[in-house]
Amino acid sequence: MTEQSTVSAFVERKVEAGGFTIRYLEAGRKSDDSAPVICIHGAGGLRLSPMHEMLAKTHRIVAFETPGFGASPANERSRDMAELAGSLCAAVAALGITSYNLMGTSFGGKLATHMALQDGEKVQSLVLLSPAVFRPSERPPMGTPEERRKVMHAHPERFPLASANPEVDSKQEALVRRLIGPPRDAELEQKLPGLAVPTLAVFGSEDRLTPPDMARFYRQHYGNAHLMLIYDAAHLVDLDRPEAVTEVVGDFLARKERFLVSEQSGVIHP
Amino acid sequence: MKAALFNPIRYSGSSPSGWPVAPSAYDLEIGQRSMLNGLENLRLADEIGFDWVTVAEHHYAGFSLTPNPMVLAGALTQVVKRAKIALLGPTVPILNPIRVAEEYAMLDNLTGGRIIAGLLRGTPNEYVTYNVNPAESRDRFEEALALIRRAWTEPEPFGWQGRFYQYRSIAVWPRIVQTPHPALYMSGSSQESGAMAARNRVGLGLAFTTVPLASVAAKFYREEANRLGWQPDPDQVIYRMGFHVAETDEQAMADMVESGAAKPHVGLTMANKAVLAGAMSSGYFGKAAEEQKERVAPRDAVQRIEQGQILLGSPDTVWKQIRRVRDEVGAGILDLFPIVPIADRTRCSIELFGAKLLPRLHEN
Repeated sequence: MTEQSTVSAFVERKVEAGGFTIRYLEAGRKSDDSAPVICIHGAGGLRLSPMHEMLAKTHRIVAFETPGFGASPANERSRDMAELAGSLCAAVAALGITSYNLMGTSFGGKLATHMALQDGEKVQSLVLLSPAVFRPSERPPMGTPEERRKVMHAHPERFPLASANPEVDSKQEALVRRLIGPPRDAELEQKLPGLAVPTLAVFGSEDRLTPPDMARFYRQHYGNAHLMLIYDAAHLVDLDRPEAVTEVVGDFLARKERFLVSEQSGVIHP
Repeated sequence: MKAALFNPIRYSGSSPSGWPVAPSAYDLEIGQRSMLNGLENLRLADEIGFDWVTVAEHHYAGFSLTPNPMVLAGALTQVVKRAKIALLGPTVPILNPIRVAEEYAMLDNLTGGRIIAGLLRGTPNEYVTYNVNPAESRDRFEEALALIRRAWTEPEPFGWQGRFYQYRSIAVWPRIVQTPHPALYMSGSSQESGAMAARNRVGLGLAFTTVPLASVAAKFYREEANRLGWQPDPDQVIYRMGFHVAETDEQAMADMVESGAAKPHVGLTMANKAVLAGAMSSGYFGKAAEEQKERVAPRDAVQRIEQGQILLGSPDTVWKQIRRVRDEVGAGILDLFPIVPIADRTRCSIELFGAKLLPRLHEN
């Protein structure tokens, strides 16, 4: 393992798993009793948001860079999503983690779903942010930077997505195109009802890439899914409204399904 | 055109001016009779062919005895057999929007889908009622609108992480009857509200305004809608105004004078200087606040006719006044409230409107 400080509380490390050298960013308390949160990024690659920083105050966060993304060599070896998920499960195991919470964003939501199916009871909860397991048959136009910005953000003035590296982008896009599968994945859908892990599927009310009308399919197919709409957020919910996302995700990580019942006091003055 | 009879269920006894009005001024017998008379007028409106009957929300004064219009609408479902029941409407930013969605769904089931769903910001004094900051009114409203729509149309339980509203799980039973949901309206006298109505594709209600101001507001709303790629139909613009019809112009004015309704009257917010000052500084009225305040300036009967705030006179005179609203505002729905608080005159006015004006209105 190598170690290098980043500007945030996160530290960069690497782990060998499944024949890959996998980079990851880590922060938060290791001594905590609660299981760590394993984060699987979307098609745009590994990025941290204010949500990760806020969650790191209460949880140990491990954000993997999926093989084939970022500066890692092009991944031509993983034949499908299940196999790629297997490599990430191996990375979790290589870190000595035997019980964990899993968070997947967009493309990473589908990858995390495959991981949850493989790792079974090790996974305490599954959080899916703008997940791409069920997708509309048509995508909104994203050809120009302006079109892309409009699809990704409802509030680009808050935490805009960093500008892309075209070379890295095209490598990542090729991998995503090869692995993501159809908008409705019959083979995966068959397995979903057996997924008993408490699942929170989070959607931005203004998301046009994985629109909130897709949310209902998670409720209908996953074994134990709760839906949460983030008002006035687009695809990058954790950049558009990080406080709102962190509050509900943090509560779900802490209390699982009991997050339904408020513990906030209504007392105005004692 | 279509016509609605709006009955705010005004307290028919005398009550002190100002807002709020002390509950001690409420005479129990008069109050109960006012409510039953109001219910009877709305039943009558249905019987004689009004297209809609309308109820609204106001608090703490004799101007209206319906702090919860949903309750009155529940009673109306049992006596109004044909007309649509329009709620124009609940003051959404001071309420629980899920409760509003549920109540609408109940009413839509009780009427077989005859509910019109206005969602309003209300008058600024209402923000005192439930202690809500009027400065946040527009943002609360727009979020509540999105939430209510989603609550009506989402087939699975879902949570909502908003700016002003937070729910872990929402699943409205009974489901709303109309597909995808009842016709939606919001008030839109200011440019801010007109733009919001256009971008949310909801109908526009213009109330307690003047024909010149309403014409500008309706034009702005249509232009905004066109710019966003859609075109409101005539039924998507409602113009609310007072009315009193008698056999002759002289009789109509005499009824006004006799009842005291001919004198200028002060609206709910203006009746409390502190509330008005607070509303003005909160930005409640939007950028053109002075112009918006002008809408509700006290005027006598003649000025109110000139400004298109009331229809008053014989059927022929009133027909001319209606044509002006149609031509200048382009409103497809006239939402009419009785302005002479004398029970038998009001009844005659409603009947006369039904016999002489509804047929002409429906042809146009």
